Amino acid sequence: MIDQLIYLMPIITVLIGAIVLMFQSMYDEKYSIKDFILVSSLFLIIALGFAIYHFGDLFTTRPFNDIFNNVIIFDTFANFFNIALLSGGLLIILIGEYYAKEHSYFRGEFYCILLFSLFGMMLLAHANELITAYIALEIASFSVYILVGFDTENSKRVEAIFKYLVLGSFIGAFFLLGTVLIYGATGTTNISEISQFINSNPNEKLLLVYIGVAMILFTFLFKIAAFPFQSWVLDVYRGAPILVTAFMASVFKIAIFSFFLRAILSDFITLNTFWENALIVITVITLAIGSWLAITQDIVKRMLAGSSIVHTGYMLLGIIALGQNIESAYSIMFYLIAYLLSALGAFGLVSHVIADTKVRITYDDFKGLGQERPYLAALMTIFMFSLAGIPSTIGFIAKFYVFTEAINAGYAYLAVFAIIATAISIYYYFRLIAMMYFYPSFADANVSKSSDARISTFMIGFVALLVIWGGIGSAIGFFFPIPSIDAILDVVELSVQSLFIK
Amino acid sequence: MGAADILSFIIFLPAVVAFILMISTTKIEDVRNIAFITTIITLILVMKIYLNFEPKAEMQFVTNIEWISSYGINYYIGVDGFSLTILMLIAILIPTSYLLLWEGRTKGYWLNMLLIQTGVTGTLLSLDIILFYFFWETMLLPVFLIIGIFGSGNKVFSTIKVTIYTMAGSLLMFVAILYLGVSFFNEYGHWSFQYNDLTTLTHLGYNEKLFLFLAFATAFAIKIPIFPFHTWITGTYSDAPTGGVFLLSSIMAKLGVYAVVRFMIPFFPDIFVEFSSWFVFIGVFGMIYFGIAALMQDDIKKMFAYSSASHLSLIAAGVFSLNSYGINGALYLIIAHAIATGGLFLLIGLLHEQTGFKTIKDLGGIAKKAPIFTFMFAIMLFSNVGLPGTNGFVSELLIIFGIYEFNHTMGYISAVTVLVAASFMLWMFQRAILQERVGAPLQMRDLRIKEIVGLVPWVIIIFLMGIYPDPFIDKFEPTVTHYINDILKIGAIK
Repeated sequence: MIDQLIYLMPIITVLIGAIVLMFQSMYDEKYSIKDFILVSSLFLIIALGFAIYHFGDLFTTRPFNDIFNNVIIFDTFANFFNIALLSGGLLIILIGEYYAKEHSYFRGEFYCILLFSLFGMMLLAHANELITAYIALEIASFSVYILVGFDTENSKRVEAIFKYLVLGSFIGAFFLLGTVLIYGATGTTNISEISQFINSNPNEKLLLVYIGVAMILFTFLFKIAAFPFQSWVLDVYRGAPILVTAFMASVFKIAIFSFFLRAILSDFITLNTFWENALIVITVITLAIGSWLAITQDIVKRMLAGSSIVHTGYMLLGIIALGQNIESAYSIMFYLIAYLLSALGAFGLVSHVIADTKVRITYDDFKGLGQERPYLAALMTIFMFSLAGIPSTIGFIAKFYVFTEAINAGYAYLAVFAIIATAISIYYYFRLIAMMYFYPSFADANVSKSSDARISTFMIGFVALLVIWGGIGSAIGFFFPIPSIDAILDVVELSVQSLFIK
Repeated sequence: MGAADILSFIIFLPAVVAFILMISTTKIEDVRNIAFITTIITLILVMKIYLNFEPKAEMQFVTNIEWISSYGINYYIGVDGFSLTILMLIAILIPTSYLLLWEGRTKGYWLNMLLIQTGVTGTLLSLDIILFYFFWETMLLPVFLIIGIFGSGNKVFSTIKVTIYTMAGSLLMFVAILYLGVSFFNEYGHWSFQYNDLTTLTHLGYNEKLFLFLAFATAFAIKIPIFPFHTWITGTYSDAPTGGVFLLSSIMAKLGVYAVVRFMIPFFPDIFVEFSSWFVFIGVFGMIYFGIAALMQDDIKKMFAYSSASHLSLIAAGVFSLNSYGINGALYLIIAHAIATGGLFLLIGLLHEQTGFKTIKDLGGIAKKAPIFTFMFAIMLFSNVGLPGTNGFVSELLIIFGIYEFNHTMGYISAVTVLVAASFMLWMFQRAILQERVGAPLQMRDLRIKEIVGLVPWVIIIFLMGIYPDPFIDKFEPTVTHYINDILKIGAIK
């Protein structure tokens, strides 16, 4: 009983945390924003502790199966994503500490809803059944819809929230339709049972499954903002508070991948010939459009949003390679972690700078930051390098894995295309570095400078250290004994193995 | 510290010192002094390696530690005759260049110089190709910063241009590297990116090899630069600060040539042999083209940029000429040219800082004001144009022999072109330095003792290598012979 409960604890803790925060925020005037940050991060840390309890084990269980009836599953795979989601959420809250303090619209509800959406995302990682996945996805999505509209000071928020809400709900219907079609064909919505049906039936009987999979794929592509469903990204990311933008670009994306990787790996992998060509086209156009959008932006936040589409393209490359070689799943998962760290760092730093100066929004506004704030500029440089995939950062290693697996699966030409996108990305990432270092500062010298020694900057520095550690790993191992980045790969490998335990 | 760890120490010492200096709040003079001492320590260690190196073709002082074991990537470094010579060159050039850059730099300048040193030595010594790529890319970042922050003129444009140019080339190479690794995995069933493992690939088809060869060739051709990938050099060389130009021209460009020999020849010997005539042609053509372009320049920095490109084309032609003369000569010219161009760029940097001009028409009358400066300048210039008695002469002669042996016509053409180079350099020297200036004489102090001390070793090397080249050639000749006998011959038979 207890040992079964332990498996459930991370997700339950987050849910309790969300509810506690909900009640706490009823007495908004009594508590300062600091208390909310404290409570929410406390719950996340406890949940993280429960998740790490099983870290490194290889397991698949279905606790309280008589209640849940096989709709949720607890395995190393889900646990890996739980840890990623919880750390992502925690980092968002802590990095955003300064930004939240400086903006009056951040109140208790923000953290409550954030925890609810994390709850939905974790549930999604555990979902073993399409309807459950849909419910989890909608819990997460609806929370995010609200979060997007939180910025009452921003005139763009109505456009952002409306666009995202309407399009997101619309695309959610496709998921349901796909589920219904698959149910019509197979008589089940359970992932492992669908895979049995697919494997034991000839191709002619799978027509409905094919259509259903295509519908579900639409939802997937929309949520990760791949072509042709990328049009909402820039406006939504623009209108949302920057912390929410960071949350959507990194944490939400991980959650989406957690379920779809599970579905693809354990279910639909045998159908890969069906989507391969379509996905190749989608990947190429996603890379091209993402690069185009990122180049043409003048606002740093929008540039990061555009470039997140490019990163989606790299991960889709991994998805394509999955059909030929299962190991590319490791590379996608590693890439998700690498992108989580680099994007959180970059968005977080921009949020910190905006909170501090109120004006640093466009590229030009970043001029001279290298002189004013050498440490912040150095950290920003590290994140830009990591996003661009420059060696000695985790972004390079992640690109190395994804491209190697893509070439290994026989898609060398796609890798060449992706590398061209990388070359272009150097332009828009390095432009920011150029702005920070190559121009004199425009700000008055006598603007009062607040201290940088606070939680958000320490967390950003911590993330930067992780980024560097991920890129160098044990290469400096003969100077200092530190674990290698192989450790991450081993964990990832273990997680994928747990999917195939019967 | 064992003998093998010395190499790691040489690579990482400058970077570690740079990071410590970065977080400390030391005075600028102390930063400079510490940086200088660091490079001197490096020099002493490299000397030790140079003396302990046995003149054989194999890798020595090897360190091979697992880095990312699931993909067989190792921290694998070592030195052979070829890299040893360039290592020695780097170790001597950098500390002495500090003496010429001594005054008026900021902290960031010295930190970036130290980081570049780590980048270039790491690139030079890594034998695992992913590690090589790691350093190859990382060394660009301090260059990016040093040009962008301390440059002049249209610096931001130049910086972004050179970065994207070189990055695009190396990213293409990156795909080729991954492809090689994957092919190795498919052939042998385990991952490895060590260069000696990758040479054993047998299953690659002709077209695959050709594409991979071209990807590598593009990356290195941009770095060197070989025609037509040279368009970044003028802007970069003219806008970059003195230290940056010095490192770019005399060290980083040479690493492109080094990489051709280290990786392209062993990986694709047959393609290399098959296309060598094309590359010799491009080399000789580039030499003429850049020579003429240099003749047209009024900006001395731009002129040296083109003349440097012209010499590097000659070096490339020598490498591709497939015989002992050509390759030995190319290696020799790498050293000779690094010293001569490095010295010239540093001296021009001084001239520019003192007088505020770097165009020929504004200069003149320097010889009277600064005789020692003129003397040093002349020696570097003579070595650069290959006057007998200097090392430039020996190396150009060897390369021209090599090209002649490869193809008689090319040999004749290259011999004549060397004269063109001599003519424009001397003409520039006459107009900018010797001839009286029209208008008021320029403010120009002569070289200080520190700067003379910095340049004297270079002058000694120039003449020593020019008059008695044997001891230098002995160190790398076995490696070159090994390349020609064991690798290129195999390629020719295939």
